[in-house]
Amino acid sequence: MTLALALSLLVSVAAGVIVLRWVWPDPEVAWSWPLGTALGAAFGLGLSSVLLYLWMLAFGPTRGFPLVESSLLGVAAILALARARRSAHRPSPSGDRTGHPRGYLICAGGLALVAAVAAFLGLVRRQPHGEWDAWMNWDLRARMMFRGGESWSTAFSNLIPWSHPDYPLMVQSLVVRSWLYAGGETMAGPALVAAAFTFGTVLLLAAALLAFRSASQGVVASLVLVSTPFFIVHGASFYGDVPVGLFFLATFICLALDGRHGVATRRFAVLAGLATGLAMWTKNEGVMFVPAVVAGILVSGWTSGWPRARRTLAGFGLGLLPMLLVAASFKLRLAPRNDLLATLGIERTLGWIADPRRYFLTLREFVAHLATFGNNGVGSATWLLIAYLLAMGIRRRDGDRLWTATAAAALALMLVGHYIVFVTMAYDLPRLLNSSLDRLLLQLWPSILFLLFMVIRTPEEAGHSRT
Amino acid sequence: MSAGTPSLPEHGPKPWVVNRARAGIALVLLYAAASGVAWIRLAASAPARAASDEISSYERRFITLRAALPARGVVGYVGDPDPEGGTPDQREANSLLHFKRYLLAQYALAPLVLIESTEPDVVVGNFDPGSRPSLPSGFHIERDFGNGLVLLRRAP
Repeated sequence: MTLALALSLLVSVAAGVIVLRWVWPDPEVAWSWPLGTALGAAFGLGLSSVLLYLWMLAFGPTRGFPLVESSLLGVAAILALARARRSAHRPSPSGDRTGHPRGYLICAGGLALVAAVAAFLGLVRRQPHGEWDAWMNWDLRARMMFRGGESWSTAFSNLIPWSHPDYPLMVQSLVVRSWLYAGGETMAGPALVAAAFTFGTVLLLAAALLAFRSASQGVVASLVLVSTPFFIVHGASFYGDVPVGLFFLATFICLALDGRHGVATRRFAVLAGLATGLAMWTKNEGVMFVPAVVAGILVSGWTSGWPRARRTLAGFGLGLLPMLLVAASFKLRLAPRNDLLATLGIERTLGWIADPRRYFLTLREFVAHLATFGNNGVGSATWLLIAYLLAMGIRRRDGDRLWTATAAAALALMLVGHYIVFVTMAYDLPRLLNSSLDRLLLQLWPSILFLLFMVIRTPEEAGHSRT
Repeated sequence: MSAGTPSLPEHGPKPWVVNRARAGIALVLLYAAASGVAWIRLAASAPARAASDEISSYERRFITLRAALPARGVVGYVGDPDPEGGTPDQREANSLLHFKRYLLAQYALAPLVLIESTEPDVVVGNFDPGSRPSLPSGFHIERDFGNGLVLLRRAP
């Protein structure tokens, strides 16, 4: 069973890497193995989920899926191999890389990762079914689909609205997929999916900063991420927040690639659209992410010129389109109405909008949660980053202006969007702020780290490390 | 903020710039060390194996009942504690516990759909062990699985 579970992950990752390698705009942009593998793994998880969903629409959650998926991977691998033989070898991109990180930084990064993995495993042993929402929503839905057989769509019954049957299917379908590979239900399935997303995010952040900035920068940023207590604890709770955070991060990384290579190729903008679509397929917050990124691109167009922004927007839309269709098919065919929207009444909503206390309370909680986010006893991660920023300074690079404006605007708009949702839709506002706000911040956290460490000077630039 | 910091001088950074950078790295390492210690403690205090947790234990109560229920469809649910009565705090605590037990029953009995109602002909009764529950009218106990778990069926 363990081998079969490992195979399920391997097939996803390999498929994602092969497909990404296939669409990578060689020779305009040289392939980077660390970034390509980490980004490919993220796309692979997403594509596996979509593939299983389409399979279930046609055949239900049947045991033939692993065989078909593995066969598809085999065909893709043969095609990729044939293409690789034809193309010339090129060196990896150098980015801004200078020198190597100091040994103690690598040691600290390695130790922190090992400790975080140990903690993750400890949390999983303590709570093999995850936290409350995991077994109430995500794992329940996975069980209902897997056990339901031909009647798998009963999982979306509107008789159990508290289980949020309208939630998108990324996490649940990957859990079902792990059970199909394993040949039966095992709680190691959800744990593996959660681990893949949690540590996949860490590796993607490190790999992206390694490619764009320097190895030290990648180590320091991933050190902050694995040391953020809520990131590991919540990752092991089997919720959808860390997974959606991975796709937010993948979107910004693709936009960063587009920012640097968008003149030569539009493919990274297409990949950014796909990653955004996968975020939408992971949690409903991903739906809000779409207009936030579009607005971010428009903001960058305003500051850096419309022709380029139009190109990015067109590519982004192209990548988003297939996921829009998949998500629409789910919402129209299977998902009942969202409970938050279903319980809204015009009079009550207008009353909430007109109530200044709700604005103040929400703002106060936003500030408090932001200021204390990632507190581990020594201090909060927010204050740590502010101090780090002041210590290292900011590096300006003209080539990054376009996408940093997009990312900053999109992240700010996500916060504004969450603020508006709380004020206008939350029934029990204090309770909802208390239970949800940190999770929403966590979704954005890897992307915030990526953006910050893209603009903060590397240790080498600040004169700390040898070059 | 040092947003406007000029580019590095040709002869290398000034000592205070280097020291500031070192302080920044030291802060990150301090933060990581504190979390690392917490992670190790957490890992060390975890149980040796899974399945001794609350959810797994509670779920085991339903194994025999599950076999006695239809494979699919909609089944009713009644259970303890009664969310009504007592002080507001008690009501809130009871209501939460009642809901949690219902959710756990649904989780254990999936893909059956459990609804908090006696409308279906078959109803799962999930009561406190040893209690004497009042049965919904028109229902009889078809099977008692012990530990407060009963299968109720509408009397013909």
